[in-house]
Amino acid sequence: MSTMKNLFRAREMPVFLALVLVVAIAGIANPAFLSAAGAIDILLGVAIVAILAVGQTFVIVMRHIDLSVGSLIGFTSFLIGDLYAQGYGLWGGLAAALGVGLIVGAANGFLVAYLKLPSLVVTLGALYIVRGIFNDYAFGRTITAAMVPPEVAWIGLNRLGGIPYLFLIGLSLVIVSGLVMRRVRAARDLYAIGSNPAAAELAGIPVARRVFGAFVLNGAITGLAGAVMLGRFNAANANSGIALELIVIAACVVGGVTIAGGSGSVWGAFLGAILLQAITRTIGALGIPQFWQQAFNGGLIILAIAFDKYLNSRVKTTTIMGSHND
Amino acid sequence: MIKWNLTWDKGVGLFLIFAVLLGSVLSDNFANASNLSFVLRDVTEFAIIALAMTFLIISGEIDLSVASTLNLSSASLGFLYRAGVPFEMAIVGGLLVGLACGLFNGYLVTKLGLPSLAVTIATLALYRGLSYALLGNQPVNELPEFWIGIGYGRIPGTFIPWSTILLVVLAGVAWFVLHHTRYGRWTFAIGVNAEAAKFSGIPVQRTKLTLFAMTGLMSGVAGVVYTLRFASASPDGAVGYELSIIAAVLFGGVSIAGGIGTMWGVIAAVLSLGVIRSALQLAGFTANSLLIVSGALLLISVIAPKITETLRTRTRAESKENIKKTIREVGNEKSTP
Repeated sequence: MSTMKNLFRAREMPVFLALVLVVAIAGIANPAFLSAAGAIDILLGVAIVAILAVGQTFVIVMRHIDLSVGSLIGFTSFLIGDLYAQGYGLWGGLAAALGVGLIVGAANGFLVAYLKLPSLVVTLGALYIVRGIFNDYAFGRTITAAMVPPEVAWIGLNRLGGIPYLFLIGLSLVIVSGLVMRRVRAARDLYAIGSNPAAAELAGIPVARRVFGAFVLNGAITGLAGAVMLGRFNAANANSGIALELIVIAACVVGGVTIAGGSGSVWGAFLGAILLQAITRTIGALGIPQFWQQAFNGGLIILAIAFDKYLNSRVKTTTIMGSHND
Repeated sequence: MIKWNLTWDKGVGLFLIFAVLLGSVLSDNFANASNLSFVLRDVTEFAIIALAMTFLIISGEIDLSVASTLNLSSASLGFLYRAGVPFEMAIVGGLLVGLACGLFNGYLVTKLGLPSLAVTIATLALYRGLSYALLGNQPVNELPEFWIGIGYGRIPGTFIPWSTILLVVLAGVAWFVLHHTRYGRWTFAIGVNAEAAKFSGIPVQRTKLTLFAMTGLMSGVAGVVYTLRFASASPDGAVGYELSIIAAVLFGGVSIAGGIGTMWGVIAAVLSLGVIRSALQLAGFTANSLLIVSGALLLISVIAPKITETLRTRTRAESKENIKKTIREVGNEKSTP
């Protein structure tokens, strides 16, 4: 009984209900939307953003941000294909992708956590530097289907019980991270840091170490996600992953991971990513010109933030009597 | 004796001089009229938006939707013109659309109290989407010759493009307002501490709303300049400009935390980046090196003040230590604690 109650009180519930609503509307208007093929299309499209949104959640929850993920995932997806083509094998490529992800994450984390530099500026710098190094490395070359490791291509194409493997990878990442974020103390610290960094420091939380760790983790996830991206598109070039960072942050925000830090969950971010993707598909299913798609997404994000603000203000007025919202 | 502290914005000014010299040394084709006019034209839209963005970031807010606003203003201009509206009126329409975009951002931030970073990520998508909704797949290419001439041409007998005059005027106004008027001081005060500013009687929300509206309007102006320069209004122009503009403003010494920055630091930064881009291209470097240089400059711009700050507090601590020692020595003589 109480679990049911908790379930309906969860922050993620509105996002989930919105998702059900969107799918229902699309399904009534165009039954083909609900077909297996339609659903699989959504799941396949959502995998990359969903995975990156999980990593980004660790960072945003601490009231930080990581803008370098688009450049990083593009670089590592290219790297995996390129190293495979040069004979280093799948594992060589994955190790390099993980390594690059760790280095970028550690560099961001070091500057933000220990030098106390603003994460927006640091990761914006990293966005350019990584993209620059990547473009220099790629230099007009492209990764073609023949250069994609067959295992990666196989995972990108195949399904388990009708569900794409790429989506399952994202889902398992969410399940594991979701449990970690609920149960593991170091992960709970991230919420404390985001709610009030000074108080977290006073409470004995090793803030710098946690911030550093979260950036490194996000870097590692993003680095490895390069394989997912390569499997999804079966190709890569110097523009891979461009402008992905803002879509990822949008997914987090829609999913209730507030920019101000301290609240939200990986489940929310995951649902946010699926909702954005579902809306895109719904617009197609409803016969609205595809040109309206981005406008709808933008409107949806505004609704999500406004709704979140409304929820928060309601909480405030019920706990602190007579307090007003400004 | 005049004490001349080397602050970051002065450093950027020196860097601009260095960049111009570097460009002249690296390539003979740098300091000629056609290249200089190209560099100026190339930075105009960035610079116009950066002027407004400087105010916004100093006040502690941010606007990621500027590139989409630029493009929506350009698309509206094209849409109106295609629908038969006289070109001059279409320009006014484009500017008004820019203003409306800024007001909408400002409304969401100041009236609903939503975080500007999240709001403007949303309107980034919204305004871009509306550009597509307006124009579909078809760019508007047949614009009046006279206006294209203004957009692309130079003042006769010089290397200076017409759009540069607009930029100089706007930059002058922006500099004056930021550093010599009440609005400018309010902007700084809000960025340092919005709460304190409110209790000092500064109309915080109204000022912020104005700043967002101005940023929208300037993006609209940049949109018109952009349309004339490329003689085309398309739904997919200026993609990704927002982060480059913010990077330039931050490189110019404006603190992302708000409350710190100078207008001429930002102008020097925008020009430096334009000059460096041109110099590197002429010297045979690829666009990639420019990306790396931009990123590195951005990082240096936050690391360098940190280092000088640390050094300064350390010397202060040392001098404090000396004072304590002296007091102790004097104290020993006089035997006071």
